[in-house]
Amino acid sequence: MSGDLKNAPLAGIRMIDFGHIVAGPFCARLLADLGVDLIKVETATREGRTGARKGSGKSVGDGSGRTSLLAHINRNRRSIDLNLKSEQGRDIARRLIASADVLVENFSSGVMDRLGLGYDEMSKTNPKLVYASMSAYGHSGPRNAWTGMNVNLQAYSGMMMATGGPSDPPIGISNSWNDYIGGLHAAVAIVGALSKRVDSGRGFHIDLSQFEGSVGMVGSLLVASAVTGKPPERMGNRSPDAAPQGCYPCAGTDQWCVISIQNDAQWQALVSAMGDAATGLRDAKFANLAGRQQHHDEIDAVLSRWTRTLAPADVEQRLRTGGIAASAMLRGNELANAAEWQQVLRPLTGSLNQGERTVGSPAVFHGSHNVAPQVAPRMGQHGREILRDWLGMDDRAIDAFMGEAAA
Amino acid sequence: MALILDLTSPVGAYGARLLVELGHDVVRIESPNGDELRRMGPHLAGANDLDSGAFHEFLNAGKRSFAVDLTSADGRAQFLALVAKADAVVASLPLVVDETTLLAANPNLLLVKLDDGPPELCTYASSGLLAITGEPDAMPVMMGGHIPHSAVGLYLVLSSAAALFAKQMTGKGQVVDVSAAQALAALAEQVWIEYVSSGETLERRGSRGGITALAGALPCADGHWMISVPPNPAGWQNFVEMVPDPVFKDDHALADEANRRERKDEILDRISAWSTHQKKDEIVTEAQRRHIPAAPVTSPLDLVNDPQLVARGFLQKIEHPRFGPINFPVGAIANIWGGAPAVAPTLGQDNKDILARLEKTK
Repeated sequence: MSGDLKNAPLAGIRMIDFGHIVAGPFCARLLADLGVDLIKVETATREGRTGARKGSGKSVGDGSGRTSLLAHINRNRRSIDLNLKSEQGRDIARRLIASADVLVENFSSGVMDRLGLGYDEMSKTNPKLVYASMSAYGHSGPRNAWTGMNVNLQAYSGMMMATGGPSDPPIGISNSWNDYIGGLHAAVAIVGALSKRVDSGRGFHIDLSQFEGSVGMVGSLLVASAVTGKPPERMGNRSPDAAPQGCYPCAGTDQWCVISIQNDAQWQALVSAMGDAATGLRDAKFANLAGRQQHHDEIDAVLSRWTRTLAPADVEQRLRTGGIAASAMLRGNELANAAEWQQVLRPLTGSLNQGERTVGSPAVFHGSHNVAPQVAPRMGQHGREILRDWLGMDDRAIDAFMGEAAA
Repeated sequence: MALILDLTSPVGAYGARLLVELGHDVVRIESPNGDELRRMGPHLAGANDLDSGAFHEFLNAGKRSFAVDLTSADGRAQFLALVAKADAVVASLPLVVDETTLLAANPNLLLVKLDDGPPELCTYASSGLLAITGEPDAMPVMMGGHIPHSAVGLYLVLSSAAALFAKQMTGKGQVVDVSAAQALAALAEQVWIEYVSSGETLERRGSRGGITALAGALPCADGHWMISVPPNPAGWQNFVEMVPDPVFKDDHALADEANRRERKDEILDRISAWSTHQKKDEIVTEAQRRHIPAAPVTSPLDLVNDPQLVARGFLQKIEHPRFGPINFPVGAIANIWGGAPAVAPTLGQDNKDILARLEKTK
């Protein structure tokens, strides 16, 4: 690891990742990007590969032997292969946890306890440990034993009924959204607990409910519904503060550009950018926000006729020239060259794929080291050095353990 | 506990709220006319009321309010005196007081700057997220409730909290830049990964965009339920035992996730034909008994008395100064440490106290 890591924001913090699939390992990655010394405990017989998306089932070729999604999620850490069903494996796990500052796990409530690795047990030997559990609904309450995946939490959090128009069915997002949101909330809580630990000298069991994280994202709507007794209005792409605002069809198949008119001057600029196509939009009834809200459908009809004649990038460019907020809807094949993506795509150090880039952090620290993305480890790649660095084991002890583990 | 001055726009407001949930003393710096969050609808007691906007009520909850005219010499001096005592300033660009002046007032300041970027819908479209939200044959649609803003806020608070920790360790503040456009791009990384690894573009699939083959919001007699059938053979077996469909039982090829993926829509339609006559809470409870990930599709209204949120203290009954007794969200982070609910301040509520303290410590 780079020597500059000692100047990263979370330098000197040892973290152990017992996570699987996306939520836990992503939480760990966020903290690795901030400089923790991260190790991943995984078991060769149970690789946490469930949920790999079609088309990503094959090994990604970066050298990690993982599926593409899990290779990106599990970057920036070292890996040790431990069989937690064996006493030797659990013994090493307990010793690693005893020397860690932070642990993250996203098993169902009770699983870590059954492995003998729960917080109550681990905090006896390591009272300074910050132990983050991130189950679907939390370890307490009537639904503590419920199982939930990303889409279930999208559904239960209110998010799908806050999205779309009044007559739309529930609308979700086609990625692991809630895993990311759960991972972010857990990472925030962990850093908070580390700060509290500086003063108190004590660790903490973070019992994060991923469900609560997703509900917190729409907390304002909960307050509104509690007061009014009504569900929130589903506004689609529209806004009470900007009109017209929407997603407009462009030339080609399923091509779109979004436009948001923030004030009256921008409206005039839009009408002028549309030239002859704006016939009918020069009426005074459209001059202010209230009028444009009232006649939004009428505006959309004329605006769409114009955007349909142009490629999304053309609409974007013509309107931005006029000082209007417009953005083409980008798909996966358009990101590599998109201006918005240039800063966040970073070289993936150590990848066997020439020139591979990965998605980095959206933050730049001007007084701390910014950690570069490192390729995900092969399963168990760093077992020996982890036993040496974290537990101070010598070669003989390591050989003995490795021999027993292999047998 | 750090003293943090909050000058974020609505884009970063959830992040500033989470700083409160982490236990910090967050002072919202507002113009004497009240800030933008107060003007965001819906208003719960008449339009343009500065103390009844839903977003203000939640996102400013637990903060103190300092109303100050930064265009006046006096106001600016008061603000800079407060900066001198603060641990951090978290602010959207452009800064209302320039960076050099802030750092001159407090050389040890942590200054976290948020580049809001263009309006939410535009950032959402260029991030790649819009392409994966909405019904397949209809207009793509942004996530509602300003969820994209909340997502940006998460990266803002994470970066701020990490820099605060570094300041505790080293004694040194610093400048940190966070970009809203990059935060949403980061959350769209699966769109990138899928394309570079398989050449396929992820697309919007309504509610059927789960990572497992059989996932979707299916109709019930009283709404929708959301299923996500685990990809392993046991998961399917469990599911088949619950849903009485002869085709599922006899078709052994369906034990294989790849085959289920091929016939995804047909299978989901068959499940819908059954579930549309069932009550959502009954089948979801039965599914959970069988360890099948299932959940009801809810609106925020359905959650205001949710037993899980109430039992864990995420929702607590308060006597709200404007709205009377309501269940108020404590928040996902505050709830970890057993936080108590707090309400949003009135405009300039803490001016007197803050100015008195500044006077005393001059």
